[in-house]
Amino acid sequence: MMKLLDISKKYGDTTHKYPFEPYHVADNFRGKPAYIFDLCIGCAACGIACPSNAITVQLNAEQNKLIWEFDCGRCIFCGRCDEVCPTGAIRLSEEFELAVKFDKSALIQRGELEVQCCTECKKPFTAKRLVQYSFDCLSKANVSQNRLEEAKDYLRVCPTCKKNATVSNFTTGKEVVIE
Amino acid sequence: MKTYEVPQEIKDANALEEKLSLLKHIGRSFSVYRVDCGSCNGCEIEIFAAITPMWDPERFGFKLVANPRHADILLCTGPVTRQMYYPLLRAYEATPDPKLVVALGACGSTGGIFYDAYSVLSGVDKIIPVDVYIPGCPPHPASIIYGLTTALGVMDQKLQKESHIEENEIPSLIKESLIGNTLFERDLLVEAKKLMSYVFGRKLYDKYLDALIKSGDVKNPKATKISVTEAIQTEEDPRYAECMGILHNEIYTHYIACQEEDKISLHRVQWGKK
Repeated sequence: MMKLLDISKKYGDTTHKYPFEPYHVADNFRGKPAYIFDLCIGCAACGIACPSNAITVQLNAEQNKLIWEFDCGRCIFCGRCDEVCPTGAIRLSEEFELAVKFDKSALIQRGELEVQCCTECKKPFTAKRLVQYSFDCLSKANVSQNRLEEAKDYLRVCPTCKKNATVSNFTTGKEVVIE
Repeated sequence: MKTYEVPQEIKDANALEEKLSLLKHIGRSFSVYRVDCGSCNGCEIEIFAAITPMWDPERFGFKLVANPRHADILLCTGPVTRQMYYPLLRAYEATPDPKLVVALGACGSTGGIFYDAYSVLSGVDKIIPVDVYIPGCPPHPASIIYGLTTALGVMDQKLQKESHIEENEIPSLIKESLIGNTLFERDLLVEAKKLMSYVFGRKLYDKYLDALIKSGDVKNPKATKISVTEAIQTEEDPRYAECMGILHNEIYTHYIACQEEDKISLHRVQWGKK
């Protein structure tokens, strides 16, 4: 009996005082993914990487906005969105107090991004910010001024129209010069 | 598939006022019955971690009971497999009214990663009315305690729906390259992530770039060799030290014209020395 008291004296009070005092999680804890809307370029890499489809990126019904939506209830906290995000718009935070009462929609985070319409077929195909980001990347990458001017045009053409243009160039025998 | 409809008398007995009066009268003694609706046992392990003396939820009067007839709170885990559909209903109907239902874990709240599987009903709330959702895969014991105290009204809900509509001007995200070639930074980050995964890889990338900048002349392989070697020797963590050497030998020498002696011979450098 005295031995037991000695042991408990040695280890002291181990119970966390959690709800009354804040609890600090361990390093590299994978908590709720924090979304910074100002950095999001709408590239949908996170939506493709997400194994449980907690992140969805799709056009809305009117086809004029790209909706980025995250459902925390379905998230399995694997951190793949953090891994693939090129701009750091989504990072796992240390937030663990996620319970919600009655209304499940409090778990949802949404962001609406402007869409870029294709200059050929006028259909929306990507976010405006992604086009701008790609152009910024190119302008820092030692590309000649000519090519940059060309990029302004072809970044705003959707992949299907680009493919069709290439095919028609080939079949009509038009030569495309790449510097 | 037609799912369960809550009988009218149970619905009446579980109205919001009834539940709130239950919470008022319940004082400091709650009995929790745990229903495993086809969970992977991760959530169960965390529940049992949460009832250890480390977290000690009996401070608030939480007690796990072995029978739904003794329970005030039903703690449901798992995506509700077809086999567990009727047992869940039996547990729900056997619990005396008014009762609180807590959906625990990603699977319990929405079906989680199994949400579109053929054999699950994806979420407890598809079958019975749920009061509190605790997401997490599995939830941390602290999350479970937070969820249960939220259910009792001791703590407030922190999460609210976030919706961003107004688009601001995007800040310039791409930095100027150190050596005048953005491909260098790109390859460096890719290699760092390959060596040390994304969390530590980013730290490694920052440490290596700091070491390069410290040399003063980034494009001079002699100067960078000295500063990176110094960084390796002062680095406390041997993983970062070795990976910095690998980055220097494989990526830096690829972009800057170097002789063989400009590479760092990793088995000669002693790292971890302060």
